[in-house]
Amino acid sequence: MLNYKNFLFIFSLLCVLFTSCVRDTDFEQSKEITLRPVVELNLIYFDVNASQFYDSIANTPILTVRDTTALDFLDGEDISDAIKRAEFFFKFENEIPRDFQVDFDFISENDELTYSTQTTVNQGTSEQIETTIFEPIVEEEEIDQLTTANRVVVKVTIPSSSATLTGNLNLQSKVTYFLEID
Amino acid sequence: MKMYFIYIVLGLTICNAQNKQILYEWESPAQSLMLNPGTNVESQYHYGFPFLSQIHINAGASGVSTFDIFGEDGRDINDKIRDKIFELDNNDFFTVNQQLELINFGWRSKNDIYFSGGIYQELDVIAYFPKDFAILAWEGNRDYLGYEFDFSDINLQGDLFTVYHFGINKQVSNKLTMGFRLKVYSSMLSFRSKNNTGTFTTTQTDGTNNVYEHTISNLDLGVETSGYASLRDAESNGERTSSLIGGAFFGGNVGVGIDAGVTYAVTNQLEATASILDLGAIFHRKDTENYRASGNYTLDGIELIFPEIVDGEPTFPYYDNLEDEIEREIPIDTLTTNYSQFRPAKINAGLTYNFGRTINRSGDCDCRNMGGKRTTVEAVGLQYYSVFRPKGAQIAGTIFYRRRFAEWLSAKATYTLDSYSAKNIGLGVSVKLGQVNFYVAADNLLDYGNIAKAKSVSLQLGFNVIVDQE
Repeated sequence: MLNYKNFLFIFSLLCVLFTSCVRDTDFEQSKEITLRPVVELNLIYFDVNASQFYDSIANTPILTVRDTTALDFLDGEDISDAIKRAEFFFKFENEIPRDFQVDFDFISENDELTYSTQTTVNQGTSEQIETTIFEPIVEEEEIDQLTTANRVVVKVTIPSSSATLTGNLNLQSKVTYFLEID
Repeated sequence: MKMYFIYIVLGLTICNAQNKQILYEWESPAQSLMLNPGTNVESQYHYGFPFLSQIHINAGASGVSTFDIFGEDGRDINDKIRDKIFELDNNDFFTVNQQLELINFGWRSKNDIYFSGGIYQELDVIAYFPKDFAILAWEGNRDYLGYEFDFSDINLQGDLFTVYHFGINKQVSNKLTMGFRLKVYSSMLSFRSKNNTGTFTTTQTDGTNNVYEHTISNLDLGVETSGYASLRDAESNGERTSSLIGGAFFGGNVGVGIDAGVTYAVTNQLEATASILDLGAIFHRKDTENYRASGNYTLDGIELIFPEIVDGEPTFPYYDNLEDEIEREIPIDTLTTNYSQFRPAKINAGLTYNFGRTINRSGDCDCRNMGGKRTTVEAVGLQYYSVFRPKGAQIAGTIFYRRRFAEWLSAKATYTLDSYSAKNIGLGVSVKLGQVNFYVAADNLLDYGNIAKAKSVSLQLGFNVIVDQE
């Protein structure tokens, strides 16, 4: 009944089925998997008119205007751990005949200033709009400070102003986040 | 997070295609009947060992093996993943199919109709490779300005259910045997996301408010679930278990389907067979929870307007307003509407040429088969298999050699060409000791030396009691 051929056949099959294995693989490599997406993201933008630097009722200049926006995603645990480098890009187009100082103050939930950067915007005219590019790069220790903030305060300071000052100061901005997710 | 990406984005989760090319038209009447209700049944009755009559597992990926990612080849695993992301396309898929037969029985009536019935549990999952979003997650959008990431790449479906079935099989002439089976499906858990539309694009154009426009266009993204909400809301594992078990016994959503099959003896050596399985649907009416996001939105960033405010007053809640605006433009609705889900219908067909020594059990003459098929020691043939999946049919072709070594021992070897591989060799052995039949069948044997290199793995085994006709 169990002749030589049958025995050999069953034995061969069992050898195949029961010697199967997973070889030459190392699942520990999964610990080395790191996603490194580079994300381009719009940031803030504005278009400030020269009239916003003068109180026409009180007839007094307003030398600094400021505004604040929350950036709730920035101090989220997953995101703040993942951001390794941030390259900001600020493009100012100025047709107001004044230089400006623009400050970006990043503030934490505890109202602490965690990161700050500023630049000077060159004056322009309505005939010749002046473009100023500002590209701060944030990495290493500074990135940890940046990512503990959850809002940014933008201050635009003009050295002098008058009721006759005209033109707009325009800002467009974006940030490139270099993420590492593991 | 890493493994989440590997399993969800690369999709190494899912199992396979339910092709049981080795069991088709082979020894066990229980399994042959399940694959072709119109097969030639020669036994008087059969019953399966409860929970052991068929254990089936099949897992596969059409374009990637475990070795491709985790192989020790000296390359950085991140480079290997990146290469695979770009090598695969959105028609590549990952599947898992598992079946466990709880009971299976059959008997021949006095008017020579073979009745059969049983219960089995099945898990069936398929996920297509969401290429665009794998690229977005792996690379980001910096190098893809202007590229439309397509939400239609998101296409997956999964079901956990029990099947109650009862069928009849009758040899209507010397040449023709036909059979039908009615199936009632009882769904425990179901989810699907398909027919999604929409794109996500980051563009850089002059004359816009900000540097970029991040645009979601014509989004219509949905997930339908049943049996999930009660599992999620269950407060203990006991509640979750009873929710699933309730679904297995008609406590959840039910459906109906049919199997049909035919065997035709072209000559006494040449036999043609065909069957269609799971032609039916499950109607999800209880415990459904569906999510749908739709709309259009362009994100410019946050516009500051420097309002005149008195010291201490808060400025505008720009960020909250932005979140509200996105939720308004792309609302995510949670619905409890009913939905129906067609079972993936499968088609089997085969052409078998029997040759060699005749082995009719009664000796020289098989009186039931006068003029019909002759049972021989050896057979060769062709088989066709297809299953209808969300993005079209998955097809496999098989050539086989079948041999009975002794009355108690037979084997079937197959070569299959399918979506996973062009070198799929399968082998099955069926042993019958007295009235007890045991079978085991596995494919991709060439990769058994290292299963990690196989793009799909399939295994079936089971125990049945078969009593032949006297």
